[in-house]
Amino acid sequence: MTEFSPTILAFCCNWCSYAGADLAGVNRLQMPPNVHVIRVMCSASVKPEYVFKAISQGIDGVLVLGCHIGDCHYLTGNHRTAKRIPVAKKILRDAGIDDRRVRLDWVSAAEGEKFQQVITEFVGEVKALGPNPLREVRM
Amino acid sequence: MNDLARRLVTIAFEERGADHLLLMAERHGNVGPVMVEKGQDPGDARVDVPYQLVNILSNLIPFMGKAKVAIVCRRCDERALAELAKRGIVDDASIVKIGLACTKEQVERCRCSDCVPSRVDIGEPAEPCPDDTLASELSSMGTEERSAFWMRQFRKCNKCFGCTLNCPVCFCDDCVLEERTYTPEQGIPPGPAFHLIRSFHLADKCVECGECERSCPADIPLLTLRKMVNRDMRDLFGYTAGDRERRSPLLTTLDDQPLEDDGHAC
Repeated sequence: MTEFSPTILAFCCNWCSYAGADLAGVNRLQMPPNVHVIRVMCSASVKPEYVFKAISQGIDGVLVLGCHIGDCHYLTGNHRTAKRIPVAKKILRDAGIDDRRVRLDWVSAAEGEKFQQVITEFVGEVKALGPNPLREVRM
Repeated sequence: MNDLARRLVTIAFEERGADHLLLMAERHGNVGPVMVEKGQDPGDARVDVPYQLVNILSNLIPFMGKAKVAIVCRRCDERALAELAKRGIVDDASIVKIGLACTKEQVERCRCSDCVPSRVDIGEPAEPCPDDTLASELSSMGTEERSAFWMRQFRKCNKCFGCTLNCPVCFCDDCVLEERTYTPEQGIPPGPAFHLIRSFHLADKCVECGECERSCPADIPLLTLRKMVNRDMRDLFGYTAGDRERRSPLLTTLDDQPLEDDGHAC
């Protein structure tokens, strides 16, 4: 049997994290290829609905990356994210889904290395958790 | 008109000067929500029917103009009204609340920990119920066991939207759960995302009235899920829904400045 390779969605905000990811790419930093990056205009446009939908359809992990607090292009967008995602994680926990499958982090446009580090860490963590149990659930 | 109806009519029209009275009443053998003006016969008033009149009221409000409406109000109704008033959907000044204390049986059915209205007009206040046993049981379970429990429950859902339609604090004009993106157009059950999304949407406004659980034809313990999420909200932000003064933490920044959002839409 081949080794479990998780499928991970990373929502990156256009102004910081996506640029950070770009920088990581330009610098040729090595990271696991499990991540599908989705560009969003602000981390606040990542509705928790997206996270729930992804998890319940069998995605193994969801990363939400935004600008550092205070650096948001839309001033208070990431404040909203910082409040919503913890609630979403708690709800997942209540429903019996490991909340380590969702992670919120801040990556600025200059932090290519941090992007690499976050991705590597998260992929390792999700790998250790194993496949999403909901992938097998036939509703 | 029974004694209870006479009492409600006196309180509403004579003591508190309302123009309309909204109550649950029995007419021709059917129990349902009834709205009467002064001098009209409401039928036999019933308070043993656990039904959220707030839901009816918030649908009527746009057509009421400046009229003052008296409503028979449990503690949960009162808190639901506070949530609606905070978001500007109902006007505090145009509502007369007739406080109804739940009986012991009703409190036990809802596992209600906050059951005495701020002003009791009808009924005797009962002791609050300490805790939801199923919720504590689930919290102490392992992740896999809990997941198995909820997936078994969610699989029973037949997407009737009863929980949404009967919810006193579901007030969005366009519900995201009716979008194809989140709920498949065809086929039941709708998948776990349905219930998770609903939990999130109610996280900052659920008043634990238990209407979702009562109206669920599949007997999914939705109230337990709501209670678990509400406990999380208390842990995270120290916030309890139904607080008239405090803005929902999901509608404020990290330093408690209000965000430009009225909290009306999904």
